[in-house]
Amino acid sequence: MELPAENDIPPSADGRALAGAWSGLETSFPFLFAGGLRSLRPVKKSVSKHKYPGRLIAVEGLDGSGKSTQIYLLKRWMEMQGLKVFFTEWNSSILVKSATSKGKSRELLTPTTFSLIHATDFADRYERQLVPLLRAGYIVLCDRFFFTALARDVVRGCPRDWVEGIYNFAALPDLTFFFRADLEVSLQRILAGRPQLKYFEAGMDMGLSSDPYESFRIFQGRMLEQYLAMSTEYQFRLIDANARIETQQSLVRKLVSAEIDLSAFAFPED
Amino acid sequence: MTSKPRKTRKRPRLARRDVIVPKATPKRFYGHGVPGVDPEKLTGKLVVVEGADGSGRSTQIAMLVEWLEANGHATVQVGLKRSTLVSEELEEATNGNILSRKTLSLFYATDFADQLENAIMPALRAGLMVLADRYIYTLMARDLVRGQDERWLKNMYGIAIAPDAVFYLNVSPEQLVQRNLAKTQSLDFWESGMDLGLSVDMFDSFLEYQRRMAKQFQHLQKTYDFTIVDGARSAEEINADLRAKIETILAGA
Repeated sequence: MELPAENDIPPSADGRALAGAWSGLETSFPFLFAGGLRSLRPVKKSVSKHKYPGRLIAVEGLDGSGKSTQIYLLKRWMEMQGLKVFFTEWNSSILVKSATSKGKSRELLTPTTFSLIHATDFADRYERQLVPLLRAGYIVLCDRFFFTALARDVVRGCPRDWVEGIYNFAALPDLTFFFRADLEVSLQRILAGRPQLKYFEAGMDMGLSSDPYESFRIFQGRMLEQYLAMSTEYQFRLIDANARIETQQSLVRKLVSAEIDLSAFAFPED
Repeated sequence: MTSKPRKTRKRPRLARRDVIVPKATPKRFYGHGVPGVDPEKLTGKLVVVEGADGSGRSTQIAMLVEWLEANGHATVQVGLKRSTLVSEELEEATNGNILSRKTLSLFYATDFADQLENAIMPALRAGLMVLADRYIYTLMARDLVRGQDERWLKNMYGIAIAPDAVFYLNVSPEQLVQRNLAKTQSLDFWESGMDLGLSVDMFDSFLEYQRRMAKQFQHLQKTYDFTIVDGARSAEEINADLRAKIETILAGA
């Protein structure tokens, strides 16, 4: 199926891709830019790039944006080149998972505890896996980073400063790709494949609508607003997820090659 | 029904005393607070008792509950690691020593937040007296001893309600050793700070860890205004101090 390509981001490998994307966004989401781009908050001084020998690449986007496909292809490409690459998904530690699923199944969670329990989960992966890998000089590919949590918690009503403060122990990725598909396209993909929506996934705890599908739509729309609002500060590279898979992957690989000297991450030859 | 009960001249003082209706005083959060909660509506009182294991916290709280209930005040007790949400998992994590520091710190914060929202705030909203066996200060002190960033902790615990009173039962590390050994004939792994590698000798580690904890409590006292209570005295003497302060709080001071 050919997907509609509105507000196409020019697929160029330099910084203009980002600038082009912004002008498109301003037209699509005028409410976000009431005071113009300059009114956005300046880049925070507290967050800084990590000093580890490894590199961190994250993909973000709504469910159904195709980001997992893209990071998988990126990983395969790196593996073929014999690079030290590691892919991490958000698989929770057994212990934290037990608490999280209990909280979810019994609907015990409030926005605050939802936020903290997911931060616990993130910290566990971060400390046990990400930091050791980065210190060992790996290129670490993350399917979602703490931006997901940040967007979700703010949509649920947690103050952004508070959530950002909690996650400030985590290093920022060297590259963060944001896969931006039209909201309707993302919704179609998920709703077609998985007709049963989970309670928290649909944002049912927020009382947006008694209809899970309607609630999900509203929730995803608000998530997108939050992602776009943090896009400049965290230097997201916007990728048009309505474009063909190959077009997107080509842009991703170009941007990665431009930012990271990949040859430095090859396994040493015996 | 053979004889009329003899009229007692002197009834117990408590029974004759009128039940005092506590004056509602405005509550505040330390930081951002909890989304959607109006602290003005929390009309109950929050009293926190802090101190190391063996400092006499639970004895003091039990005595306060007796006294408060006798005076017509409904009470609720909360403490660390008692949340519905994560207490079991937290227990398992601390027993196995399997989580790294930031993770454990966040896990404790989750436990605290769950109790804050599901036990402390509903009770305060209903006008109850909430007695907390330790609060965010113990959690912060433990993390500060382990080198966590203070600003990070203060931001995270900005969800907490500022209590009406915080008592810190100050007992010297040497006395704590004696009390803990008399009670359980052993020292606790975490209360001895064994994860810090201060000493392979548990006795030495306990003393050093408790010294460091006391130092962090003194540091936190500057920000959070505790009442430091000399915990070396008799339980009755200490409790008299606590009651005097709580009476002024009930009167709306």
